[in-house]
Amino acid sequence: MIRFILADLRRFSGGALAVVILIALSVALSVAVTLQERAVRLGSARAAEKFDLLVGAPGSETQLALSSVFLQPAPLPLLSGQVLARLADDPRVAMAAPVGFGDSSFGHPIVGTTTALVAALSPTLAEGAVFTRLGEAVVGADVPLSTGAEVKPMHGSVETGGETHTEIVYHVTGRMAPTGTAWDRAILVPIRAVWSLHGMAGAHEEDHEHADADAGADDHEHEHEHGHVDAQARLDEHFDAGTPGVPAILVKPKTIADAYRLRQEYRSETTLAVFPAEVLTRLYGTLGDARSLLLAIAIGTQGIVIAAILLVAIMHIGSRRRQIGALRALGAPMRSVVVIVWGELFLLFLAGIALGGGLGLAVAELVSARMTAATAVRLPVEFAREDWRLAAGFVIAAAIVSLVPAIAALRLSPAAALRS
Amino acid sequence: MLSLDVTGLEMRFPGLASPVLSIDRLHLPAGARLAITGASGSGKSTLVNAITGLERVEHGSILWGGEDMARLSGWQRDAFRARHIGLVMQDFHLFPGLSAFENVVLPVRLARRLSVAEAERARLLLDMTGIARPAQKIETLSRGEMQRVAVARALLSKPGVVVADEPTASLDRSAGEEVADLLVRLSREEGATLVVVTHDPALSERLDRRIRLAGGVIIEDSGEAEAA
Ligand SMILES: Nc1ncnc2c1ncn2[C@@H]1O[C@H](COP(=O)(O)OP(=O)(O)O)[C@@H](O)[C@H]1O
Ligand SMILES: [Mg+2]
Repeated sequence: MIRFILADLRRFSGGALAVVILIALSVALSVAVTLQERAVRLGSARAAEKFDLLVGAPGSETQLALSSVFLQPAPLPLLSGQVLARLADDPRVAMAAPVGFGDSSFGHPIVGTTTALVAALSPTLAEGAVFTRLGEAVVGADVPLSTGAEVKPMHGSVETGGETHTEIVYHVTGRMAPTGTAWDRAILVPIRAVWSLHGMAGAHEEDHEHADADAGADDHEHEHEHGHVDAQARLDEHFDAGTPGVPAILVKPKTIADAYRLRQEYRSETTLAVFPAEVLTRLYGTLGDARSLLLAIAIGTQGIVIAAILLVAIMHIGSRRRQIGALRALGAPMRSVVVIVWGELFLLFLAGIALGGGLGLAVAELVSARMTAATAVRLPVEFAREDWRLAAGFVIAAAIVSLVPAIAALRLSPAAALRS
Repeated sequence: MLSLDVTGLEMRFPGLASPVLSIDRLHLPAGARLAITGASGSGKSTLVNAITGLERVEHGSILWGGEDMARLSGWQRDAFRARHIGLVMQDFHLFPGLSAFENVVLPVRLARRLSVAEAERARLLLDMTGIARPAQKIETLSRGEMQRVAVARALLSKPGVVVADEPTASLDRSAGEEVADLLVRLSREEGATLVVVTHDPALSERLDRRIRLAGGVIIEDSGEAEAA
């Protein structure tokens, strides 16, 4: 029986191949859409996991979250340094770290922060040690710089036509373990170095005092006065009322209740507090709508493909009526005839579904790999239990659809079938 | 070996006013060998389709050894034919991609497991029909060889009846003679009743009885002539 089916399929190998490819492409489309959407959702949820609560100046919640979680370059309004000082002393806060964006080096964002955040991202470093002086830097796992390498910060990025800061050259002292987030592409430096570079040194720093620190700070394009930076100066991670402004503060509350209370408290006229995970979930809402649309298109194409296959199958049966009539005339039982006709089509369906699954998976892996290369956010392509249910649904539908020509084949008398 | 009794058979096709075939009575004793002749369109194939159950019979009865083919469902007719009737058709109906041997055993294999005895018998039949290489792909055989494979296939399940519809019509003379010889010889050896539709006088001469059809009616019957 199987040999007969295979011999038959070999005879129609061209058409069979076309049908398999047709099915495979339509299945691949829905598999890729499903897997990719899940990858983006899981990947960015995991990327946001490390950032419990973000506090920034009033403005766009989405921008605050995207800038901090994905290090997407965008001008953020600055938050008064007092807020940082207040949060750092709050008993409900386990960690409050400033994040200062704006500079980059060879496309890698340079982020000013504190050793506490380095420790939070990578409890043990993969290599080297954390920065202890203003001119030192710790790189993310995906930054192609080794310990001892020099980093010349550029204001903004190459694309925005930034100028290179000449006042400081950072020296890499350590590398973080991979976190699977955008921070793997970042170069972390002491926040005070960033402030100094941008002429925003704190009040207690004896050499430089700049009255314009706050005034022009919301405008990244402004002609700011560059300060002198002492690369050998020790770190000072104590913040007070004189601390310069920062675009965002990462807060790790001690308890969940604290997190909600803090968010409540810092949603005010002068500050904005968000749970990045919540902001992202809202974004996925729209992403999910896009997915529904794509899936609807995919299922639509599947409907068309199935209709096309039915058409092909029925025409195929038409041309094979004689063969089916002959089989029956020679004494093949009806059930074998049904199994043959049904089996051939079902085999094509199965091959198409399997091939399409593989193809969809490959496409999703490829897209994820490219997105990871660009953003460092790991987008995990994985199957979920509902996928197997969907696959089973496909197979059952294929089995039922394949029955149609098989039943059509039996409606003729063998004599009529032989005459055609 | 089965006897055949056809009574009051009338075959009509939609759109045709008069019946295509109309046979009051036809009796064929078990083991008899009958040739059906007649011009093209005279109803020979229609008769074959009726007595082999390939076509549904609305009027009349067709008794094979007492069982009425006309009263069986399509399903039952298929089963009856599988058990009792070996068919040989004008255009072979062999299946490309399979070997000569696989073609001979295909109907049995599609119905059940092929027994060792059946496989042995298939090889023996192929040997008797002069097919030297049973493993040869069917599409590489000559037309004469193809029809001989079809004869071997018809005989595999030891049918009580062998029915052939113009088995030599698409063959050249010598190949036709070989196939005709094979049909007559093997059906005698197997003890099967033989019904052959043919235009070939050499073949019909070798059979015990000849009927001639015209317009769906038997106009000549050597058996009745003898009886008279
Ligand atoms: N399915 C059909 N529908 C209508 N007419 C048919 C059909 N099958 C056969 N006929 C007609 O019945 C007559 C006898 O056909 P057939 O038995 O095939 O003749 P032959 O003696 O050549 O085998 C022919 O006139 C043919 O046109
Ligand atoms: Mg005919």
